Amino acid sequence: MLAIAWLSLRETASRRFAWIVAIGTALAVGLSTWGFVKLGASVQPRAAAAGLEAGLVIFLGFSFSVVLAIGAAFVAAPAIAGEVERGIVLAVLPRPISRTAYVFGKWLGTSALVAAYALVAGALELSAIDVSTGYLPPRPFLALAYLVAEALAMLTLALSLGTRLPAIASGILALALFGAGWLAGIAGAIARSLGNAAILHATTVVGLIVPTDVLWRGAVFALEPAMFLVAQDDLGSGASRNPFAVAAPPTTAFLVWTALWFVAVLGIGVANFARRDV
Amino acid sequence: MSGSPPAAIETAALAKRFGAKAALHDLTLTVPRGEIFGFLGPNGAGKTTAVKLLLGLARPTSGTATVLGAPLGDRETRRKIGYLPELFRYQEWLPAREVLAFHARLIGIPHARRKAAIADALDGVGLGDRRGDLVGTFSKGMQQRLGLAIALLGEPDLVFLDEPTSALDPVGRHDVRAIIEGLAARGAAVFLNSHLLTEVERVCRRVAVVDRGAVVAQGSIDQMLGTRSIVRLRVDGLGARGRAVLERFGTVTQDGAWYAIDGARDADVPDLVAALVGADVRIHAVESTRATLEERFLQLLVPADGVARDRVA
Repeated sequence: MLAIAWLSLRETASRRFAWIVAIGTALAVGLSTWGFVKLGASVQPRAAAAGLEAGLVIFLGFSFSVVLAIGAAFVAAPAIAGEVERGIVLAVLPRPISRTAYVFGKWLGTSALVAAYALVAGALELSAIDVSTGYLPPRPFLALAYLVAEALAMLTLALSLGTRLPAIASGILALALFGAGWLAGIAGAIARSLGNAAILHATTVVGLIVPTDVLWRGAVFALEPAMFLVAQDDLGSGASRNPFAVAAPPTTAFLVWTALWFVAVLGIGVANFARRDV
Repeated sequence: MSGSPPAAIETAALAKRFGAKAALHDLTLTVPRGEIFGFLGPNGAGKTTAVKLLLGLARPTSGTATVLGAPLGDRETRRKIGYLPELFRYQEWLPAREVLAFHARLIGIPHARRKAAIADALDGVGLGDRRGDLVGTFSKGMQQRLGLAIALLGEPDLVFLDEPTSALDPVGRHDVRAIIEGLAARGAAVFLNSHLLTEVERVCRRVAVVDRGAVVAQGSIDQMLGTRSIVRLRVDGLGARGRAVLERFGTVTQDGAWYAIDGARDADVPDLVAALVGADVRIHAVESTRATLEERFLQLLVPADGVARDRVA
C-alpha cells in the first residue's frame, strides 16, 4: 500500500501543473498581502481596519476552499480511473497486492499531497497577512483543519467515484455535488429563517450526503473574530443566510458523522473496485 | 497428494459473460509446467479475456481454474507470475529503472537484491543503457521491451505474454524468441498469445486454438499438424496425362506454376517425379513439406467455402 501511496504522491507532484500551482500560490499570497496592506492603510481608525481584514480573510478563505475543492477533485478523479483508462493497472494489479491496498494507497498518496499543500499554502497566507498587518484570525489552526477536511472530503468523493466511472465524469460529478452542497447550505439557512421545515430537512439531508459546506462553515466560524459573532447575535438568525457568517461551529455529532462519511465513501470505492473487471 | 507439481494452468469450462454477450464460454485447457504454450485465435475470440481471468484482473462467470496449483487471483501465487499486456502502458513520468523498482517492491524482492535484479531484467531486454531515461521518451518498441523486463522480473514460474512482439522490429522479434526459449530452459512456463503463427510454430511445444470463446483444438505442435504432408511442384507442360499422375498421389490445387498435392508423402517423391517424367512433364522444382500451423489454423477456423465465419456472437 505504501508503494502505491508513494508512487501516487510522486506522480501528482511531478506533473507540470505542480509548478504552475506553486507559482500561482506564491503570486496569490504576494498579491493578497499587498492588497491587505494597502486597504488597511486607507481605513482609519485601526479597529475598523481589523473588521475589514477579518471579512477579507473569510472571503480569501472561501476562494481558497473552492480552489482546494476543485484541485482535490482534479487530483483524485484520475488517480484510479485514469490508470484504468490508460491501462497502467493491467501491469500493476496482477502483482501480489489487494485491490483494497491499491485504493487505500491511492487515497493516502493524494490525500497527503492535498493536505500538505492546503496546510502550507494556508499557513503561508495567514502568516503573510499577520506579518504585514498584524491581523491573525482567532483560531487559524482550526480553520486550516476544516479547510483540509473539506478538501479531503472532495478528494475522497472524486477518488471513490473514479473506482467505477471515467475520470472526467468522476471529477465533474464530484464538483456538481460540491456545488449542490453549497447551495443546499444557503437554501437551508433561508429555510431556517423562514421556518420552512420541508426545505430545511431536504437541505440537511444534502448536507449529510455532501458534508463539504458544513465543513466550510466550520472554517468560517474559526476565522470569525468575536465582534462578528456579537454582530450576528444582534441580527438574530437572519445572519446565517449568509454563507460567510456563521453563529456556531459544526456539532460534535456532525463531526462524528463526517468521520463515518469518509469511511463509508472510501469503503464504497474499495468495494466497487474489488468487484470491477479491468 | 501426488509428488508431481500441479500444472502451470488448468481450466475447466471457464466462462465469462459481459451482459448478454459471452466473451468466453468454454475454456478447458491444461498448460504443463516449463512449457511454452501458444494460445491462438482470431480477433475477438476471447484470448485476452482468458488471460485476464487467469491473472485475476476479471472474474469468471462460471467454471473453475487453477494457476500454479492455486485458485484464480491467489495473492501469494501472483508473486510468481509475470505479465506483458497487449496494450502495455507504464508510468511515463518515471525513469525505466524506477518503474522496475516499483514492481520489484510489489513482488517483494529483498532490498539487497533489487538493484541487481533490475539491472539483469533491463540488460536482458536490451535496455541496460537506457535505464535512467524517462519511459515517456521511449519508442513503442522500447516500451514493449520494458514491459517484457517487468514481466521477467523476479524469475517468475509462469509468464503471460500477450502479443509480445506487436511493436518490435525483426531484430526485436528474434530477441524475444531467445528470451522465451531462455524462460523455458530455466523451467518457467510461458503462455503466449500471438497472431504470428510462424513465430508460435517456432517456439511453442503445445498450442490451443480458441474461437468464439471456446477451445476448438489443442495439443502438441506435432499433434496439431498431424502426419498430413504436402508435396509442391513447379512444372510446365502438365497436360491431362500429367494432371492424372498428380491426382494419383493426392488432392491437387494450383497456384500459378506451382501445384500442391495434399496427402503426398516425402517417400512418394521419387515415384511421383518418375511418373511425371514418363508423362513428358518438365519439372523445375519439387519440395516436400508438412502443413504449416497457419494452414491448420485456417482449416480450423475457415469453412470449406473459404469465407470466414461471422465473428459476432
